[in-house]
Amino acid sequence: MTEKEIENSSSTEQSKPYRKQVVIPLLQHRGAICEPLIKVDDNVLKGQKIGECDHDFGAKVHSSISGHVIGIEERPHPCCNKKPSIIIESNGTDQTINFIPQQNPSKEYIFDTLKDSGIIELNGYPIFNILNTQKTIDTILVNLTYTSDANSNCTPENIPKLISGMKLLMKATDAAQGAFIIHRNNNQLASAIRYGLKEDNIRIIKMKHNYTPLMSNLLAHDMTGMRISNIDTPVDAGVMISSAYGALAVNDAIIEGIPPIEVNVAVSGAVGKPGIQKVGIGTSFKDIIQSSGGYVGEPAKIIMNGILTGTAQVTDEVPVIKSTTEITVQSIDEVVRTKPGPCIHCARCVDVCPVNILPARIASFSNIGRYDECKKLNVYSCVECGLCDYSCPSNIHILQLIRFARTALLGSFKIPEEKESPNLKLGCQSCLTPCYMGASSSRGGK
Amino acid sequence: MKLTVSNPPHIKQGVTVATIMWSKIVILAVVSLMATIVFGLSALAMIVASAISAVLTEAGIQKLSKQELTIKDGDAVSIGILIALLMPPTVPLWIPVIGSFFGVALVKHAFGGIGANLFNPAIAAWVFMNMSWATLTISGSIPHIGQYSDLVLEYGAGRLAEVSPIVLIIGGVYLIYKKYIDWRVPSSYLFTTIVLALVIGEDLSYVITGMLFLGVFILATETATSPITKNGRFIYGLLCGVLTVIYGFFSFNYVAAVLYAIFLANAVSPFIEKNTYPRPVDEVIA
Repeated sequence: MTEKEIENSSSTEQSKPYRKQVVIPLLQHRGAICEPLIKVDDNVLKGQKIGECDHDFGAKVHSSISGHVIGIEERPHPCCNKKPSIIIESNGTDQTINFIPQQNPSKEYIFDTLKDSGIIELNGYPIFNILNTQKTIDTILVNLTYTSDANSNCTPENIPKLISGMKLLMKATDAAQGAFIIHRNNNQLASAIRYGLKEDNIRIIKMKHNYTPLMSNLLAHDMTGMRISNIDTPVDAGVMISSAYGALAVNDAIIEGIPPIEVNVAVSGAVGKPGIQKVGIGTSFKDIIQSSGGYVGEPAKIIMNGILTGTAQVTDEVPVIKSTTEITVQSIDEVVRTKPGPCIHCARCVDVCPVNILPARIASFSNIGRYDECKKLNVYSCVECGLCDYSCPSNIHILQLIRFARTALLGSFKIPEEKESPNLKLGCQSCLTPCYMGASSSRGGK
Repeated sequence: MKLTVSNPPHIKQGVTVATIMWSKIVILAVVSLMATIVFGLSALAMIVASAISAVLTEAGIQKLSKQELTIKDGDAVSIGILIALLMPPTVPLWIPVIGSFFGVALVKHAFGGIGANLFNPAIAAWVFMNMSWATLTISGSIPHIGQYSDLVLEYGAGRLAEVSPIVLIIGGVYLIYKKYIDWRVPSSYLFTTIVLALVIGEDLSYVITGMLFLGVFILATETATSPITKNGRFIYGLLCGVLTVIYGFFSFNYVAAVLYAIFLANAVSPFIEKNTYPRPVDEVIA
């Protein structure tokens, strides 16, 4: 990605031909769904709060365009099934609410703004809930090793914002030190950040792995050496892990006062002009692909957030949500259509596994339905990095089998809903006095 | 527009079972070429006959049991070539042919095909041949790496695989570099063998033969018969080394020692794996 290409993509962004209609899901994170604050046919401004949640674990939703609401209904969501969404049609103007910039915020102001703006981390947790803890956070780590996040958000003009976001997070938590985690091959990014960095207490650390957002515990373990169980978070080890997207959004929300209504999305794969775009939340994938040159050939797979761990989409009408960083289009030849063969026990999956489990054994037990054995083999430790599946020479769908085992285990521990039998409900009604045998009056005949 | 929906990852590395097997076969083919140079065309005839027998056996079994034909993945070919390489050049042509049939039919497919075999098919077939026709399969010479040129071409080789240790070393290192075979088993096997042989005062020129390198890089790393845990692979290699030196010390035959050591280590490899399950990074001891 050269600078010239970035200029091209930002110039297409200014013309905004693809912003006619946005679909903003009311659930864009892991947690409680928002209640809409507006009704159909209301007029909204850009940046206006349109969804709020009383629940502690909620993230507020803001409008990304000015226009009027044409519907609140269930629409396709990129991460799950259909979810209630607000559909807003643009009125052509780019009218915004008054954003309140704050150059030198206090700690309380940062907390309030973060809660109000509903910024989430890429793993789906609201950043306010991560920071709002009784435990002491002494280190802030900004993870720049997640490929699709780094591709879209770590452009040269964003580097000062990244550093500023890091400083704000350190101020909010009174953390003594911070570090940017960069993949060891990404020297360009490391030198760009080192050039912009003036503080002594912020360091650059190069790591071997590409840490996805789900691998926060592993990153904290690699950094601190503490073993964090899979029900705990990095905060339990005194570490707060943010992504490049998170740091940028914090900077925008506090320094410029803009809530997270726009995301940087890298479009790659079989499209006319791959590149990075800044798009509003709720823009459909179709519009984004259209504005980056359209499909080349017949698309066969549309993937959100990276080719190794991303989610394949059912339709291209799904909207961009806060945690979207990359859209990949695969043509029919690129789609993996391999038939799994028998496991040859080559242990390639064991060698690449970052969390030290035995993916091959878990997959074979999951395949025959022995989920209890999967649990004994620590299936819950898996961070779903997909490397075992990627490197399997027998083309076994290891990650799918691991997910299958997890889902089955979750189902087996769920307490089933009590079903009342029809007899129980009606009762026999033959005894009006309490039963002398101690049976409840509804047990047959007594 | 028809969109495919599937679980991640949406990309594969492109290394398949066939890639791994055929790159092993390339190395074995170079060894076969060296054997042809030393022993003449009869050696080549043995290798070809053995490979054809292995492939035909696999095809026949899979046709009869109505399975999908998997001869293209190269596993049967490599078993056939390996069985021929373990024989001395003086054996009649039908010996490796029967050996290949035994290895593929009774050691590989009777247990469930590729990946399910309990013992290395080539070694199990060699043990079978050695016990059934001991007078025919005995080798006329014991290799002795006296000078460095013997590493390239060893004219004193008793069996086909011993003719060129250097090919096996280069090929094995290449396979490890490409991550087609594991590095833990070869390194711990080689290290243990050499250190133990030095400790008990053996002449290393009889220990380090072509057969040792074939065992270290190709036979011991056979995937189904070695443990998959990381620590287990170190222990497996160590066990192979110890058994090699014990057998070689008492029988003065380090060639058969390698094969019997791997054969015995195969038998305990599930036990090693069961007892070396790794501790995941998020396991916390309260």
